[in-house]
Amino acid sequence: MTTKSISTPQCAIPGTPLGLAAEGLDACVHCGFCLQACPTYLTLEDENDSPRGRLVLMRAVVEGSLPVDDPDVRTHIDRCLGCRACETACPSGVPYGQLLEATRATLTTDQPNAPIARIILFGFAHPLLLRLGLLGGRVARALRISRLLARLPGRLGFAMAMLESTRRALGAGPYAATGDGARGTATLLTGCVMEGLFTETNRATERTLTVNGYDMVSTRGQRCCGALHAHAGDERRARALAKKNIAAFERSGTDYIVVNAAGCGAMMKEYPHLLAREPRWAERASRVSQRVRDVSELLAEAGPAPGGPLPISVTYDAPCHLLHAQRIATPPLAVLGAVPGLTLVPLPGSEHCCGSAGIYNLVEPDVSDRVLAPKLANIAGTGAKFVATGNPGCLMQIGAGLHQSGIASRAVHPVDILDESYRRLPAPR
Amino acid sequence: MPPRAPDPDDDGLAERLRQIVGDRRVLVRPGELRAYESDGLPGYQLRPSIAVFPGTRDETIAVVRLLAERGVPFVPRGAGTGLSGGALAEGVVLLGLHRLTRIITIDAENQRAVVEPGVVNATLTRLASAHGLHYAPDPSSQTACTIGGNVAENAGGPHCLKYGVTLDHIVALTVLLPNGAIVTLGNDDGEQEGYDLLGAFIGSEGCFGIALDVTVRLVRDPQAVRTLLADFPSVMAAASAVSAIIATGIVPAALEMMDNATIQAVEASIYAAGYPTDAAAILLIELDGAAAGIDDDVARVARLCDDAGARGVRTAADAAERARLWQGRKKAFGAMGRISPHLVVQDAVVPRTRLPAVLAEIQAIGERHHVNVCNVFHAGDGNLHPNIGYDSSDPVQAQRVHDAMSEIMAACIAAGGTITGEHGVGLDKLPYMDALFTAPTLHAMCALRDVFDPDHRANPGKVVPVHSCREWHSVRPPVAGRRP
Repeated sequence: MTTKSISTPQCAIPGTPLGLAAEGLDACVHCGFCLQACPTYLTLEDENDSPRGRLVLMRAVVEGSLPVDDPDVRTHIDRCLGCRACETACPSGVPYGQLLEATRATLTTDQPNAPIARIILFGFAHPLLLRLGLLGGRVARALRISRLLARLPGRLGFAMAMLESTRRALGAGPYAATGDGARGTATLLTGCVMEGLFTETNRATERTLTVNGYDMVSTRGQRCCGALHAHAGDERRARALAKKNIAAFERSGTDYIVVNAAGCGAMMKEYPHLLAREPRWAERASRVSQRVRDVSELLAEAGPAPGGPLPISVTYDAPCHLLHAQRIATPPLAVLGAVPGLTLVPLPGSEHCCGSAGIYNLVEPDVSDRVLAPKLANIAGTGAKFVATGNPGCLMQIGAGLHQSGIASRAVHPVDILDESYRRLPAPR
Repeated sequence: MPPRAPDPDDDGLAERLRQIVGDRRVLVRPGELRAYESDGLPGYQLRPSIAVFPGTRDETIAVVRLLAERGVPFVPRGAGTGLSGGALAEGVVLLGLHRLTRIITIDAENQRAVVEPGVVNATLTRLASAHGLHYAPDPSSQTACTIGGNVAENAGGPHCLKYGVTLDHIVALTVLLPNGAIVTLGNDDGEQEGYDLLGAFIGSEGCFGIALDVTVRLVRDPQAVRTLLADFPSVMAAASAVSAIIATGIVPAALEMMDNATIQAVEASIYAAGYPTDAAAILLIELDGAAAGIDDDVARVARLCDDAGARGVRTAADAAERARLWQGRKKAFGAMGRISPHLVVQDAVVPRTRLPAVLAEIQAIGERHHVNVCNVFHAGDGNLHPNIGYDSSDPVQAQRVHDAMSEIMAACIAAGGTITGEHGVGLDKLPYMDALFTAPTLHAMCALRDVFDPDHRANPGKVVPVHSCREWHSVRPPVAGRRP
């Protein structure tokens, strides 16, 4: 007889986030279909660095056969990118992303995250500090310090290349966008890095949505979405940020909350889960989450309206939190499809993570580099002049990789391409 | 890096292995061995003493020769997707071959490929498809399982009905024997010279050595393919359609059955294929070959389904729909996790003509023991996969499931069938071997094993019950313990 799974007779860690989420482990039948979907398994070739292996480690902690502070458990949980490609491979629907976050929240109670992670998470939770940091980034970029320092080896050089890659790759400036607002009202999650370093992409998002019939409204009082905190196991800060956003977006009352950063969109759609243990908040979260859309969803729903000719070659790389977490595959292609003259070149392995994974590329640089390498080779192989991808982390990771390896291609948000195409239309648009 | 825990490596074996494969590729701590305590069948958890993962052919040879020098038993492992516990290593060295992923050559003209054992089955087909070729054996785990594991288990799959199993698609192997010697079995022409040692090796479940490279036959993609989905009001009606189709002499490329519980699980999953969720059973029938005449066969098969009482038969409109229909079938085992927290999956073969009777008996056994049996299987060749979902934390329920499964296996044997179609014997089916084979037959198997591995160090305690090997002074105690 063949028994599928090990029962969970007793939970050794009751009341912890993982203890509360442990039921999700039962869905795993150990079939192994996740292995070839996992970037860290393919890179590191050890099942401990695969979804199946990590679920085994989580179960061992739940059962108490491995202690919460087992260094091997920590190593392999830390090494997970959280890309959730395993979820779109899993026939049995294991809620891997939720289990990972619960595990991290449990482990970091005893052993805090690395100092660099703690500094970043602290910064993102404090608006003033964050704004100051991003201003510093813009100044360094304007003074070309980032271009100079991107030549340095190691993490500092890569971080500077990331900053350098946020320089606008496309677009000659703003234009007056007009529309009939017939598709309802929408407000933008302006985000942290998006507003701080990809300011024009946020404006392009507003313009392209306006052209496509959405009436854009602004929302005051919004904060960081909390995704970085939730992914790193900092549930307390993630919940506090989520509540601030829920309150802010309740006040704005638009039909849609539009997000142009895949990671933030995924987080906001999961607010009800994040706040599940606070019923009153969970209910409010659920109403807000139902209004959240990725920008590509709204644009695709509207067509989108065709733009003016833009004869460029583009390849598309799917952000993990768009494809795997939000299960949005084709809308970004519809966005690019609205640009006459654009040549779309397929990217092999576009469903694989680029190694950015929030702050992973700063915390686990070696693995991140090794995950990025095949991505860069595949992009170079397409010969495309632009890589479109709708998430700031991916834009910077791929952008920095392209910059440092001298590949003549720029990473750009799909919305920027559509926006440039609209700009080329004869007015009025 | 975490601090290194006290090393149980008294005899310095791990240290010598590290010198061959590098520090990161030798695992000794309990926390890092945990993931390797199970394969595709986590009801068993057996801890290896050391896990070692060579990255090249030379490293593999060096590791096996070191183990031979020291007389250390070992268990080869591919992707760990096996369903008979064949890759479990209790207290011995686990030798993971998943890093040997080189495609050495693809010779499109002669329809041959030479690959290392860690190459994933679906990867080989993907690379061959550029030449209009594919690797025919397609186990449901093909997106994860390795060619080396397929060779060890003589793996099957839906399309083996027409194209044959792994054995029919391997023409040569370079084998590293457990004593470290290297031999070549078979040849590129696929002709047999002398004793068929290649045939003996394929399906030897890791007991005869390690395939360092595998020369496979690649099959030309058929000119035309038609995939039919037939929807039946009862399992019996579907089973009689199977018999009727086979009786006409048409050999479908695949002929698969799924019952309602399985359909429900798949349709709730990310691999939802558009199966009718109110059908008692569906048949997935694939016909392929020359374009001329294929639609006549499709019409005949559809008519036979209608005659057997099908509520409807439809043909996949395009390649995308065909792929979706197949993904649903192939991920069905994984989707079972949705039905209940635990699952038993079995693999038995009965003569095709006995299919309706055996299915009825399985249903009766399930009802008698108050357990819910779901069926998803290769109907065309009588290869059953009864699954029972349950909650193992309930000991009464667990016992009922165990009793039902034992009766189901006994019923299959009584119907003239056997205990494994494609999953292998491994550890899981060991208790049934005595029921199926006489003592002299089992002894002959032991004698054959002696030819390849006289020291009994490769995958000890698997396939043949140790008590049947009279002169075995095994280094291991008999079958390992299990949970729950």
